[in-house]
Amino acid sequence: MNSGAGFPVNDLFRRRFQTGLAITTLTLSVSSTLFLLFFISRLGLGGSFSAKTLTLGLNSIFSQFNFFLGGLIFLVGIVLTSFIVFLMMTQRTRDFGLIKAAGCPNSLVAGYFMTELLTLSFIGCSLGLFFGFIFDYATSIFIFSEYQLVNWWLAPVIFIVFLVLAIFFGLQPIFKVSKMSAAAALSQAKYFGLSDEFSFKSSRIKLGWRIAVRSLFRRKTATIRIILFLSVVFALLTVSVTGGIVAKDTTNDWLGNSVSDGIVAVADSNFGRQYELLLSKFNSGKEVEDFNYTDPELGVKSDVIDAICLMTFVESVDPRLIVYGHVKEIANFTVAEDSMQILPVGDHREGDCLVIGVDPQNIDNVGAMKGRFLSSNDSLTAVIGDSVSQSMYSPSPSRYVVLSDPLVQSIQFNNTNFQIVGLCVDPLNNGFVTYVPLEKMMATTGLDRPNIVFIKIADSYPVDRAVEELKNIVQNVDSSLDVFDFREIVKQNSDFLSSIWSIILFLPVFSLISASLCIVGYLMLSIEEQRHEFGALRAIGAKPRVIFSISVIQSASVIFSGFAVGTSLGVIIALMILIADPVVTSSSIAIIICWILSGLIGIFLLSLYPSFKLAKTSILKLLS
Amino acid sequence: MSEEENVMVRTKDLEKTYTVSDGKTVVGLEDLTFDIPRGSFVVICGPSGSGKTTLLNILSGIDRPTKGEVQVNGQDLTGKDEDFLADFRCLHTGFVFQAYNLVSTLTVAENIAFPMEWLRKTPQEIETRVSELLSSVGLADRENHFPSQLSGGEQQRVAFARALANDPELILADEPTGNLDSKNAERILKVLQELKEKGKTVIVSTHEKQVREFADIVITLKNGRVVTDSE
Repeated sequence: MNSGAGFPVNDLFRRRFQTGLAITTLTLSVSSTLFLLFFISRLGLGGSFSAKTLTLGLNSIFSQFNFFLGGLIFLVGIVLTSFIVFLMMTQRTRDFGLIKAAGCPNSLVAGYFMTELLTLSFIGCSLGLFFGFIFDYATSIFIFSEYQLVNWWLAPVIFIVFLVLAIFFGLQPIFKVSKMSAAAALSQAKYFGLSDEFSFKSSRIKLGWRIAVRSLFRRKTATIRIILFLSVVFALLTVSVTGGIVAKDTTNDWLGNSVSDGIVAVADSNFGRQYELLLSKFNSGKEVEDFNYTDPELGVKSDVIDAICLMTFVESVDPRLIVYGHVKEIANFTVAEDSMQILPVGDHREGDCLVIGVDPQNIDNVGAMKGRFLSSNDSLTAVIGDSVSQSMYSPSPSRYVVLSDPLVQSIQFNNTNFQIVGLCVDPLNNGFVTYVPLEKMMATTGLDRPNIVFIKIADSYPVDRAVEELKNIVQNVDSSLDVFDFREIVKQNSDFLSSIWSIILFLPVFSLISASLCIVGYLMLSIEEQRHEFGALRAIGAKPRVIFSISVIQSASVIFSGFAVGTSLGVIIALMILIADPVVTSSSIAIIICWILSGLIGIFLLSLYPSFKLAKTSILKLLS
Repeated sequence: MSEEENVMVRTKDLEKTYTVSDGKTVVGLEDLTFDIPRGSFVVICGPSGSGKTTLLNILSGIDRPTKGEVQVNGQDLTGKDEDFLADFRCLHTGFVFQAYNLVSTLTVAENIAFPMEWLRKTPQEIETRVSELLSSVGLADRENHFPSQLSGGEQQRVAFARALANDPELILADEPTGNLDSKNAERILKVLQELKEKGKTVIVSTHEKQVREFADIVITLKNGRVVTDSE
């Protein structure tokens, strides 16, 4: 027998198939976890990809969503790593017994196997880091067209955590077998970590099922681990797909409300272009910074509005006065329900945003709401955008703000306090907006004319034709005015949001690929340990399809068990993290079901590969 | 019975070669041509690596020859597909492996029963046959035990019972006494003799002289070729 590291290294080379499979799976586990966490960082969780776009509310939804995905991806990696090293070392039980029986001291045998474990774990984790960076670089270049390393500290953290986990879980079977006698380690009952308790003895089921199910029961630990692993993968898939599609539909619905179909605007041509820039800021645009919103020349004269109102295709007119202003948070107090203590709510934070005066009676397009929108009876009320809410009305430990709720607080603009009655998601100026009644707005600013007028065109009338006719009318009265159709920008915003959700929905695909390769690895190892018995069955007269069916029953049992547990868990988690008042349509449910079923079918089909390979293997090779 | 019908095994110019890892060809069997009459007790002997197991594997349909023809129990095995060979193994032969090759997830009774299940025999038929076989090999009280709970000799007897499950005409045994003590070896030889007396054809590979004493025909192999052929 070799001494030192020679034997373990030679042994790893001798068992090339098992060694290669274990290193590949470990590499895949580490690299996919690192890559996915890097990717999530780029998408928003502490990253910069969406920091200058979207509204803060949407960014917060993405971060929350990504946080759960990150956690689940990490969990997938951990379970996969622990499972692989456990399976790998458990399969050495008999070898351990053989070496012990040959007279090698227990400590030396344990040392050999620990060296093997350390070697495999180190190589697997190192290769995992390397490929994680490669995948991250390639994907960044492909999707974002640039590479900037984000959260590099994740790499050493993942390396250390996974290496420690691999060693911890790999040592368990080594310690277990080192306590066994050589005879027990060599025993068939202990072979490949089998349980010596055969409690499942029913013989009323078909032979293939009997062998498959007993084999799974016999390898309880390995079976439970693979089911646990698949459960986490399917939970991840369900959360990302269900949450992602519902959130995508809901947020797109909010965006669609920002400028509804059939609405055009009349404004000074400079102001209209500025409005376009403010609206497209959501995906990439940038407004003119020193734009003078309070310029009286920008106002739309009443005779223009009167002329518009006379047109037959105009259903309603929604005049607005938009200025860029400084706003302040007004704190409030609340009474604690249990202690009846008076507690402060909010602080005295300040910020800049667009302040939009609207006539509540005529308003046509409002984003999604929490609370309510302005009503005709309101006088000193306001609705704030989600970015104003996130930046000025959220709890802030650094400022000792424990309680904060915009709906019980007010906002001050031009020394006038407006009680906040609702929140909205508005792509305009990335959600940095505040809506107040038009009348009060005019009073506080001293401006007596709206600077933009939204016009609802009758559904039956072609919008393009209406734009042309409106242009003729308004430019006859005031040549500085123009007519703007924002449908293209709204579509760009919607596409941008959809593309981000698509990228997020792409994440579970990587986990699925990883899970599929893992299940193939598991089945290969599982078949390897049953190879001899399958050979015996074939030699006695079992047709290849009988062996194929036994193998398929085994893989289907673990995959469907993992699917049942994982999707149930995934639905619960998705319901927990879903946004309030989600938009759930029958088509989105159908898409979700298709996605999840595709994942299941994909994993199942891939798992058939080892079974096909097994059915094609000659009897002598199986028996050798 | 015609002369043709009286032949259980017929081989003609049988050849088996293997390609090893460095691309070289190794001869397993070469130019084997012989007939084995029905109801005979045949011993294949020879040193290790002479081709005994390869010959048994080819005669049982587990392996295919590289060249030549094989006919067993009137069935031509040359060029047949895997499904045909599986049916052939199940219906016409009973193979006792040197390493027993019992299925560890099945009980003793189930190990004996499964070749019958593939032939879709009724549960009553299977139960009766299993009890009969277990009694004949002296393991009636171990039917619900698993292979790992049996000794080597007991596992060998289960392997015999399994080989006889479908009452095949041809019994092949690869070194059936190689792993057994003298008492268990005697018991197995007695079983083989009884089978011969019942009109079955028994082909045994061995390098033990004790077994050769029971033989009607001894085929001695050396480097894959027949060295002597005596009756």
